Amino acid sequence: MTLPLFLWQSVRATFTAPYRWKDILIQLEFVSWQSLPVILFCLCFAAIVTIMESSFHMKLVVQNDALVPGFAALLILRELGAVVSALLLTSRVGAGLAAEVGSMKVTEQIDALRMLGIDPVRFLVVPRLIACTVGGFILSIIANLACLYAAMVVSEIKLGYSPGAFITGMRAFVDFQDLVFASIKGATFGAVIPLISCYFGFRCQSGAEGVGSATTNSVVASSVSIIVLDFVLTYIFSHFY
Amino acid sequence: MKPQTKVGILFLVAAGLVVVFALALGSFQPFSNSHELKIAYNFAGGIEVGSPVRVMGIKVGKVRSIDFQPEYKIPDTGEEVKLIIRVSIDKKAWPTLRADSRFFINLAGVIGEKFLEISPGSLEQPELKPDQVVRGEDPPRIDQLISQSYALAGKVLEFVNKNEGSVMETIETMNKLVTNFDKMLKQLEKTSRNPEVHRIVKNLSTIMEDGAFFSQALRSPEGIKTMSLINDLIRRLEPLDAKAIKKFLQEEGIRAKLF
Repeated sequence: MTLPLFLWQSVRATFTAPYRWKDILIQLEFVSWQSLPVILFCLCFAAIVTIMESSFHMKLVVQNDALVPGFAALLILRELGAVVSALLLTSRVGAGLAAEVGSMKVTEQIDALRMLGIDPVRFLVVPRLIACTVGGFILSIIANLACLYAAMVVSEIKLGYSPGAFITGMRAFVDFQDLVFASIKGATFGAVIPLISCYFGFRCQSGAEGVGSATTNSVVASSVSIIVLDFVLTYIFSHFY
Repeated sequence: MKPQTKVGILFLVAAGLVVVFALALGSFQPFSNSHELKIAYNFAGGIEVGSPVRVMGIKVGKVRSIDFQPEYKIPDTGEEVKLIIRVSIDKKAWPTLRADSRFFINLAGVIGEKFLEISPGSLEQPELKPDQVVRGEDPPRIDQLISQSYALAGKVLEFVNKNEGSVMETIETMNKLVTNFDKMLKQLEKTSRNPEVHRIVKNLSTIMEDGAFFSQALRSPEGIKTMSLINDLIRRLEPLDAKAIKKFLQEEGIRAKLF
């Protein structure tokens, strides 16, 4: 099965009933609830680094870091929050999906589904695709705002800007549409992860080596796709700023 | 905990965070504490939606929208304006905005971000009404100024090139004039140090003072009366000639050689 055909089948199945709501909810819980701690933890550290580096460079260039809260908030919302969350989600969820589907392929469970007259794409990919898209959307909102909160705390402790000053600085640069675009990015990246991972799972070669190879390839391909898609989406959104 | 509950909690948290974020940014204001004002410009100098609005240097609101209205005319004056900037202003600052308030677009900060500055009006003037349209002060167009300066410099250069001979002649003449003026001033300074000149100046001053005193005395009622008497006397003496005076003197027994 080629990638375009696989993508077409997955998207078509996603937009046609019936849906397996229970499976979708379980996957959604796996993607969002279980991934949230690691994403929040990593993004908070990313926010700390962003604030400190921005301050260093602003002081180096204009001898003043008064604009750091605004710049850092904008950077977090437009790029950092969505991309880092998606990459973390890839390493956690994408790898798991590729291994799961790959194992099913190797153990001929997918063939068994076909034998039973069940479309494996609808059965395996659609719940994961919906769950990852919705999960990516929610996670990007929570992760971005938690990241902003961490940046605000670091700004107060390290740079001496009060929360009020941080929010005032942020308001000069950040608009509500930045969060909307970040959520769209999150949802798009979330959709890419199961599509790429399941595709590599479906193409898995026999044996443990094949499963390992499919997992590795899926993570690499998903990460590259996310970076490329980030560029494409940023370019598209730049027309709306 | 069931997966449904966990997912539900996440949805609620996300929705709550979105509301908090919108409130923090001021994008969502269910309990608005501001009035809106429309400011008309023909050139907005790079101001953007979200730019701060300040009254006396204090941030009191922000630019809500910028609308292009090619056929709009100010109701009071009938002046054509193309841009209407809608701003929200805190109710606390609203009483300072009067009919004679002025609306400038200024630069601030290290990167020169634009903001809208409002000067407070005088107490004699009435307060502005919410949603009223006022005329803003168009900021100077730097590009236009530079272009005009270039054009002016070009014309000056062209004039100098065309009239190089006469310009040089004019400059030389002016140089001579200045040199002569300088010499004259030096001569005047030397002359002023001469004691004879001092004496003449002093006498002139005395004469002027006396003249002033005399003319002042003539203007007094006494002076006017005296002048009137002299005038009468001259009129009476006018018909008298030498023969009449001689006859009069002979009759009086006085021998005199007249005229």
